Amino acid sequence: MERWLIVFLTTCGYLALSLLIGLLSGRRASSASEGYVAGDRRLGFLVLYFIMGASIFSAFAFLGGPGWAYSRGAAAFYIISYGTVGLVPWYFIGPRVARLGRRYGYVTQAEFFADRYQSPFLSALLAVISLAAFLPYLTLQMQGAGYVFSVVTEGRIPVWGGAAIAYGVVLIYVFRSGVMGVAWTNTFQGILMLTLAWVLGLYLPYRLYGGVGPMFEQLAERVPEMLTAPGLDGSGARWSWGGYSSAVAISALGFSLWPHYFMKIYTARNVRTLKQTVVFYPTFQIFLVPILLIGFAGIVAFPGVEPADAILPTIVTAMDLPALAVGLFCAGALAASMSTGDALVHAAASILVKDFWRTLFRPQMEDQAQTRLIRLLVILIGAVAYYFAVISNLSLVYLLLLSYGAIAQLFPLLIAALYWKRSTRKGVLAGLLAGCSVTLLWNLFPQLQWQDIHPGIWGVLANLLVMVPVSLMTRQPPAAHLARFVR
Amino acid sequence: MSGDSSEFQPSTRTRRLRRWVGIYFVVAFLLMIWPVYPIFSRVRPLLLGLPFSLVYLVTVLVVSFLVILGLYLWEAHHGELE
Repeated sequence: MERWLIVFLTTCGYLALSLLIGLLSGRRASSASEGYVAGDRRLGFLVLYFIMGASIFSAFAFLGGPGWAYSRGAAAFYIISYGTVGLVPWYFIGPRVARLGRRYGYVTQAEFFADRYQSPFLSALLAVISLAAFLPYLTLQMQGAGYVFSVVTEGRIPVWGGAAIAYGVVLIYVFRSGVMGVAWTNTFQGILMLTLAWVLGLYLPYRLYGGVGPMFEQLAERVPEMLTAPGLDGSGARWSWGGYSSAVAISALGFSLWPHYFMKIYTARNVRTLKQTVVFYPTFQIFLVPILLIGFAGIVAFPGVEPADAILPTIVTAMDLPALAVGLFCAGALAASMSTGDALVHAAASILVKDFWRTLFRPQMEDQAQTRLIRLLVILIGAVAYYFAVISNLSLVYLLLLSYGAIAQLFPLLIAALYWKRSTRKGVLAGLLAGCSVTLLWNLFPQLQWQDIHPGIWGVLANLLVMVPVSLMTRQPPAAHLARFVR
Repeated sequence: MSGDSSEFQPSTRTRRLRRWVGIYFVVAFLLMIWPVYPIFSRVRPLLLGLPFSLVYLVTVLVVSFLVILGLYLWEAHHGELE
């Protein structure tokens, strides 16, 4: 049998297994929207652990992560840093959000905020921010999947074909099984990608240099500037500490607030489960080390690979590995992409129906009708993202840069919602709008930059500077309402 | 987390411990950015074959894991997971 065919069939085996797991898991939840979106609030530790881990590590894990280490060296370390602290806020706020969710029936992030501040407009605004942040992110996942297919089959399957195959499978199981499909496939995909990352991350340096130590000895001789933070920027010059530090800060602030993660708080069976997930998340996070080792392994052995994100597929195809191993690599990389893409599609559809359409136009919408509409939108959103991923030439990288800054604006909102009684609807709305506008403005006019600080940081400052005085100047809601949220 | 029971209040000791853990994580964050991290962001010594800049971050990650695990075990031991 031809080599590429074995690779392709191995990958298809993975896809078939994902589909099977995804379809079967749907039987475990009710067809109410609480079942379809929040798994009836019954998920246990192991599943929640893998949902979070596998959703967080996207196609970036196998393409972007090694690509960064390969082209920018220690700049990639910032990913380790923000993940170390990013999920910790959940330990403290998660139990309260989960309890409120159970009591008042929230399944999305905006439902919680909109109820706290009695504002349908806030709900719609959060929905718009979420969708704008999701779209480029989802698009990248699809491109990543198509790309992996295309490289390892030596171009026999084009990017559009690979993306269509992988995301066809995702859409089918999300459509059918909702969050349960996401949950159980992520468990399978998470195990696959963890195994693969550790095996490749330790094997490649060994094979190419005789070990991790000898590899870094060589790198320390030849490119010492790549082994110390802040590493290099996109053009190969030294990155700045301002850029590096603010990238850590803005990503850490936004980390726990990405809406597709945040709504998983509601899926936890109980507080113990939720806290265990936060506690053990670092055991997932540590797998960035082998991921980055892969990128470092390419620096001396495979110079000049363009684009840098292709470094891992390039090494894997160039190294004369058995076809089965290449197929497994392909499956692992697809797993990384799909386990993020499925959560994004599912969250986007849920948010669009619950927080936008229902809140603004159909307050009386029946629960079953909501589930039906969410399912329909899963397909529609998948199609739109596919259009941007492979048909449109519009670059969404810009939107992606913006999205981290925009999501970080939710951090002051979260703290105010749970800990600051005096915060008011007008205050947080004004703060949010100010924060997003400043982030956008600093993105549009790079001459406003100072010390390379991420635009989102200025956004957060503006957010606070507006939220606090406006809140103090406006009337706070009745004490009885507040007592539900603030201790 | 039963639906309608009123919110559980942890003991003073547990609340104090939580505050210290919160402070630890702010410190951990500061250790990983400018101006502290530049002091430790160096190539040598290579430890376990890894550059010191990376070992430093992995150490912060491992210690952070132990700290939050410690808080969890304390709460679980005292029946104060809420």
